[in-house]
Amino acid sequence: MATDSGISSLQLPCVFSPKSRQYLALCAQDGRLRIWNTDSKTLHQEFVPSAHLSATCTCIAWGPCRTVKEGPQRKKRKSEAVQVEEKADLLAMGTAAGSVLIYSTVKGALHCTLDGGHSGGVNCVQWHPEDSLLYSGSDDTNIAEWDLQTGKTRSKWKADRAAVTSLCVSPDGKLLLSAGQTIKMWDLDTKEVYRKFTGHSTAVTTLCFATTRPPDSNGLYFLSGAAHDRLLSVWQVREDGKDKNSVVSFTLTDEPQHIDLVASNSKEEAVRLAVVCKDGQLHLFEHFLNGPCKKPLSPSCTVQMSDTKESPMPIPLLAAALGANTRTVLLAYGNHLQPVMEKVEINTAERHVCLTRDVQTSLSLSMETTVSKVKTPIVKANCRVLVPGLPGHQAPVKGTSQGSEKRKKDTDTKEMSIAERLGEIDLSTVSIEKGAPKGTASLQTDNFAVLLVQGLESNDASILNKVFQTRKEMVIKKTVARLPLPAVLPLVEELTKRLQGHPFTAVLMVRWLKAVLMHHTSYLASLPDLVTKLGVLYHMIESRVKMFHKLTKLHGKLYLLTTQVATNDSSNTVSDVDHTAKLVYEEESSDEDEASGDEGLPDVDSDHWEEEEAMEETVEDNKEEDEDDEDEDPDSRTESKANGEEDMEHENESEEE
Amino acid sequence: MASFKPTKIPVYPKLGEKVTQDTLYWKNYKAPVQIKEFGAITNIDFSPVTPHNFAVTAFTRIHIYGPSSQEPVKTFTRFKDTAYCGRFRSDGQLLVAGCEDSVVRLFDVSGKVALRMFRGHTKAVHVTDFTSDRYQILTGSDDYTCRLWDIPNATDLNVYQEHTDYIRCGVTSKLNRDLFITGSYDHTLKVFDARVDKSVMTMDHGQPVESLLLYPSEGLLVSAGGRYVKVWDLLKGGQPLVSLRNHHKTVTCLALSSNGQRLLSASLDRHVKVYSTTNYKAVHNFDYAASILSLALAPDDQSIVVGMTNSMLSIKHRKSPEESREISGQQRRRPSYRVFVKGKNYIPKQDDYLVSKPVKQYLAKYDKQLKKFNVSKALDCALEKWIRLRNPEVPLAVMKELDRRGTLKNALAGRDEQQLSRLLSFLIGNLVDVRFAPVLVVAAEMILDIYRSILGQSPVIDRQLLRMQELLEREIDYQKELVEVLGMLDTMFASSLPKMEVPCSSVSRSNGLSQGEASTSRPQPQVT
Repeated sequence: MATDSGISSLQLPCVFSPKSRQYLALCAQDGRLRIWNTDSKTLHQEFVPSAHLSATCTCIAWGPCRTVKEGPQRKKRKSEAVQVEEKADLLAMGTAAGSVLIYSTVKGALHCTLDGGHSGGVNCVQWHPEDSLLYSGSDDTNIAEWDLQTGKTRSKWKADRAAVTSLCVSPDGKLLLSAGQTIKMWDLDTKEVYRKFTGHSTAVTTLCFATTRPPDSNGLYFLSGAAHDRLLSVWQVREDGKDKNSVVSFTLTDEPQHIDLVASNSKEEAVRLAVVCKDGQLHLFEHFLNGPCKKPLSPSCTVQMSDTKESPMPIPLLAAALGANTRTVLLAYGNHLQPVMEKVEINTAERHVCLTRDVQTSLSLSMETTVSKVKTPIVKANCRVLVPGLPGHQAPVKGTSQGSEKRKKDTDTKEMSIAERLGEIDLSTVSIEKGAPKGTASLQTDNFAVLLVQGLESNDASILNKVFQTRKEMVIKKTVARLPLPAVLPLVEELTKRLQGHPFTAVLMVRWLKAVLMHHTSYLASLPDLVTKLGVLYHMIESRVKMFHKLTKLHGKLYLLTTQVATNDSSNTVSDVDHTAKLVYEEESSDEDEASGDEGLPDVDSDHWEEEEAMEETVEDNKEEDEDDEDEDPDSRTESKANGEEDMEHENESEEE
Repeated sequence: MASFKPTKIPVYPKLGEKVTQDTLYWKNYKAPVQIKEFGAITNIDFSPVTPHNFAVTAFTRIHIYGPSSQEPVKTFTRFKDTAYCGRFRSDGQLLVAGCEDSVVRLFDVSGKVALRMFRGHTKAVHVTDFTSDRYQILTGSDDYTCRLWDIPNATDLNVYQEHTDYIRCGVTSKLNRDLFITGSYDHTLKVFDARVDKSVMTMDHGQPVESLLLYPSEGLLVSAGGRYVKVWDLLKGGQPLVSLRNHHKTVTCLALSSNGQRLLSASLDRHVKVYSTTNYKAVHNFDYAASILSLALAPDDQSIVVGMTNSMLSIKHRKSPEESREISGQQRRRPSYRVFVKGKNYIPKQDDYLVSKPVKQYLAKYDKQLKKFNVSKALDCALEKWIRLRNPEVPLAVMKELDRRGTLKNALAGRDEQQLSRLLSFLIGNLVDVRFAPVLVVAAEMILDIYRSILGQSPVIDRQLLRMQELLEREIDYQKELVEVLGMLDTMFASSLPKMEVPCSSVSRSNGLSQGEASTSRPQPQVT
């Protein structure tokens, strides 16, 4: 359900730097380019193109690695100055405005801008592996070849009838693949079409060479993926030119978003492929490319990621890069604004792997600039302002009185904050009608009136459940108070239905019912057929409370017994209780009783007297209870009665036998 | 000798939703088959001829599915942009579809390439349909016009420019080849007659019209727009008959169940509502996972197909008669009818001596035990799990019977932990039920009396008793509140009683008051 309704959201470019995979370049929704260091997992650089909102970045390509000469600004630090290894430096970004930006990660700044080549937005950029050439395909159906030494287009040719959506330069740098309506293979020396491949019906989004063999050896393969297509097709460039259809296809769960591939150099070497789909899953494939294969291949391993909450939600994977050995994969996942990078060992023996990660979803987007130029709308006296609320119900019409207030506000030089302005829009007319103090009224966030009316109208169980499960007295009251009159009776009917249930849930319904009766008394009383309308409810309640007396009695009984058990348990656990009786009456003479009467509790004492007799009888089978009797003097009276009943019970049992 | 009378199991009124014929009918569908399409599914149309394939328009494709297949049997992909409204002709041979690129395409159902392309609209075409003579096509477009096209030579016969906003729905009459109706976002429905070149009737729906439907008799027209579904009487000159508001979001699609007795409406609020067409009350409701854009019913309601915004297609097939019977009659195979009839239809001759054979009485398990006076066992039988859970009336009736005999206490006594816990769980489950409470409270009290001595010995029993106590506590709180409500209602009823009684009551009250005062004033000295 996460996918949008048919409209494919713009894919955000996300690319690992070649070879060492040291950096991940990402262009997020806010139009900024961020380069993350995959080793330290920190933000390496952030670059805001000057026109990052109007000309959003549509594609990114890392240039080939090159030995970096030290920039002049780093000269003072000699120890770090000597860099021998090759480092990814240049980054080409195609924009929707048709220009290509070259960004240098070493300089941390824009290297140059390639302008004037395209009239439409750039869809893809590709670097030539050796020469400092750059190819870009655009919406204007052209492919441009840029010379980076001069910063000008070296040549430009019409590639297709439709927009060029994808490009790929072969590893040897002699061939170029382009995709528009059809996939075309160009000879880069002559700029002539070498081969043509047809098969995709939607825009091709991905092109990638899978082998590094020369084209006339029957061993050159490449793969392609298209929008809305859950297949990756592999094409063979055959010697005889009879390459009509794709030879192999890989099945995916959604359209491919990011592809990483370890090309094979010989027939004996398998192509390894990691595809991240739009639905956030990663599929790993391993296949020996050797002629056609009829069946679509399913992934050898599928990786998903979910968070650690109680109801796990999937975390979308953004990109994946295959490591040197077959098991390690470098993953980037989470949000485009703040991706998490991680090197993961994946057990490829299992077909389906689900990783759980704790990703902090809270993003701190800092807003440095304050919005200063806020225009307050000028409200004329005779215009109606519609406020979000219940359609057709109490839609407040701001009349002249409100207008004067507005004008007064306008005279204030200080600008209001958003919160104040929202408070201004608040249904002040409504609150005045209701006679509620203005201070307590706020936006309609504290009631469910709209939701409840919707639920009652469409009888939507999920909405009604949600509304009726509120426990806040305030919310219930406000909701009922805001409820339009036509919805009152349906609400009462719904409540009647729900009141019949289990007491745990029905208690909440009573609150609602009470609120309805309280707030809409006059309306209900004015109904001519009130008795028939509420008769069902009345009878239902009446029959339910019929047993009130008996149930209460039973509850009392149970309560007593359970508390006894509880004290029993606690006394057992606390310590071994002193087993001698607390009060011992020696039977010497009956006069003693008279003497004890001085204490003022003759009845209780006599009870104890009886009780001890009973105790002697039942001392064998329930010792514990006796201890209780001693502990709880106030209860002793009922307890003794209970003991009496017990005796009867013994008799009963004997009867039964 | 009086024979044993089996325990009478009383029939209690069922709580909750009323089960009507409609609920049974509309629930009699299998679990839905879900198919993922490429984009939001904007239209579904069933072929009028058997085997009733249906065309699903989603994104740039039209898939045709067979009546039972889950894979498309045919796909039309020759669209440059989003396709709309793929509809079959009445003979099921041709399919017409509009497109975002304003070209209307006509396909042979067995072919692949468009037979005809109708160019002329300047914006997306959302409405297409065949006229009843099969030779013309009606289209409606976002350029505010609707057109009639001739199929053989692909030219437009007429252009109607009366609407002032997007045209998003339209139907052609099945009885008259010249009549068609369009609905537009300018809130109006217009009935056009091809013979007079302009609209002959205009109705105001009040909201942007999303869908139209003609009754088979074509006297009534149903329109959906905004949250409203409205029914219009065309024969009375477009008089509005009914306005239904049962959805809380825009109604997107309408369908008629094939016998014409029920009307279905689907909405963005994820519901499909079924209305009776006699009184226009909602009789059933389906829930779906996402906002619904399109809905279609197979002939004879054999399947309900629903297309949603999240590009899921949900197909529900009606259960075959055997299947539904299997579920209802699952419990036991009874002897066939022949067994009972055997020998019964023999007509005795004049001189025959008739020996009447007593009908053997079959008793339920608990009745057998009751007959033998095994009271404990009878209760045990009645408390067997599936009886206890499925029809709690049975154990209740047995308890009642035992109580009547005065042996309930004996039956409840002498149980081990497991049996007792079973009994208690039954009590906990049903104690608060109004229908069962009178008997169960008595039983509960007896149990407490009998087993008081062993409390604290078994943690299981103790826990159950605690649960029972908690339940009772809640119930008592609840009933206390209910009594309060009762008081409120009493006051309210008293105030709203017809005025007829007011004078009488006031008279009596005044009398009573004076008497009361007199009586209170009089006894006081006596007391002191």
